[in-house]
Amino acid sequence: MKNNSVSKRTNYLVHGFIILLFILFLVFVILRQQTDFEISRLDGYMALIAEGFIKTVLVSLGVLVGSVVTGFTVFLLGKSNVLFFRAFVNVFTEVIYGTPLLVMIIITAFVIGPAFNIFNRPVTGILGMTIYFTPYMSNIYKSAFSSITDEQYMAMDLFGFTSYQKYRYIIIPQVVRILMPPLMNNFSLIIKGSALLNVLAFRELFYATDIMQSRTFAYTEGYIMMWMLYILITIPLSQVVKYLERRWTLE
Amino acid sequence: MKFQLKNLTHAYDLNVLHNLNYVLEDKHSIGIIGKSGSGKSTLLRILSGLEPPTHGEVFVNDMSVTDPVYRRTIGFVFQSHNLFPHLTLEKNITLVLEKTRGYTHEEAHNRAHENLNLLQLDDQAHKLPKNVSGGQAQRASLARALSVDPNIIFLDEPTSSLDPILTHEVLTAIEKLKDSGKDFVFVTHVLSFVHDFADYVIFMEDGRIVEHGDPSILDTPSTKALKDFMAKVH
Repeated sequence: MKNNSVSKRTNYLVHGFIILLFILFLVFVILRQQTDFEISRLDGYMALIAEGFIKTVLVSLGVLVGSVVTGFTVFLLGKSNVLFFRAFVNVFTEVIYGTPLLVMIIITAFVIGPAFNIFNRPVTGILGMTIYFTPYMSNIYKSAFSSITDEQYMAMDLFGFTSYQKYRYIIIPQVVRILMPPLMNNFSLIIKGSALLNVLAFRELFYATDIMQSRTFAYTEGYIMMWMLYILITIPLSQVVKYLERRWTLE
Repeated sequence: MKFQLKNLTHAYDLNVLHNLNYVLEDKHSIGIIGKSGSGKSTLLRILSGLEPPTHGEVFVNDMSVTDPVYRRTIGFVFQSHNLFPHLTLEKNITLVLEKTRGYTHEEAHNRAHENLNLLQLDDQAHKLPKNVSGGQAQRASLARALSVDPNIIFLDEPTSSLDPILTHEVLTAIEKLKDSGKDFVFVTHVLSFVHDFADYVIFMEDGRIVEHGDPSILDTPSTKALKDFMAKVH
């Protein structure tokens, strides 16, 4: 512990220095390119990129909401007294854990979707991602609910809380606090995963960048900007996660 | 308080309590002692109604412990404080009073502070359990148990998760409640506390009540089992 005890100021300074190094590395890499780096080549395509950025965020929110619901359903089925449901959850979870996200998206869009007459690619893409993130969300519920100890349930019974009161005042407020940080982490995973939707020619950030590049040949500029735009969402998100973890921990 | 055990047997995988028949009357503070695994905590949980016995019947003050009304007449303090971790010490009490005892917000607030004051926690009322010491949390748990105005307070090794200084702090707080008019039943490993606080002692071994009597049995045990136990803990 003692080795890690540095002042806040030193801590900020060193982190600032490392960020600077990272930027310098980026500049070095850019300068090493065969073609000149000219951000002005992106002029006229900002609307396209902005649209891609917004679509990435919207699609990710859709998948987040969807998998929060399906994840909870799967969590409940996994706790069911009916063996059929528990077995279903086990098999489903194993299948998904063994599947790469890219494969899941392609299978949903080109094989499963069409079998049900769904050919709308954005819809199948969102569906595929939602299915893929379902067991991960279910896991979050599992660990959140299991953090409420048997003794707490005993205390609730002892005082005579009704079922509704237990959930409303004791269980859910705790579960939400425990749930939030990993949920935000998963949101970050979803945002990053959504780049794969480009294989469906869906105009999220990655595909929009691709289109822009094929018209302007501004490859380096496009890739760097795309990278920065992803980081622009995911890094603040991870800072929020860290803040919530510090602020909301109950132990 | 009065309690009666009729053919009480309790089992998980094997028998934890063996066919106990026992009547005790007019005691106000009963200490249950014994080695780990002797069944003392199980007996406490059954007496408090937390766990229904697998066989037999148990009556406390002539009321069956499986009667839902009985639960509302007791308070229970757990090994670990077991406060609801997302609520401040004050809210831990007011929530219980408002939702399960029909107090108004104002009444609950006053009652909570009355009991927090009693346990010298007035300045900690607005802190979360994670932000107070183990001793303070355990005292708050005691305040919560007192707030519902129970006839009997059960304490299940209330200091086993605390260091010696905090143990002393909590036990001193409990001793001050001796004249509060409440009855106490407790399990503990701190024999000096049993000496000072109990007016009756039950010694258990292997799921049986081996010896019982006033606290002087600790000094002059008549069974070999209690003699051995005392020799080991001293």
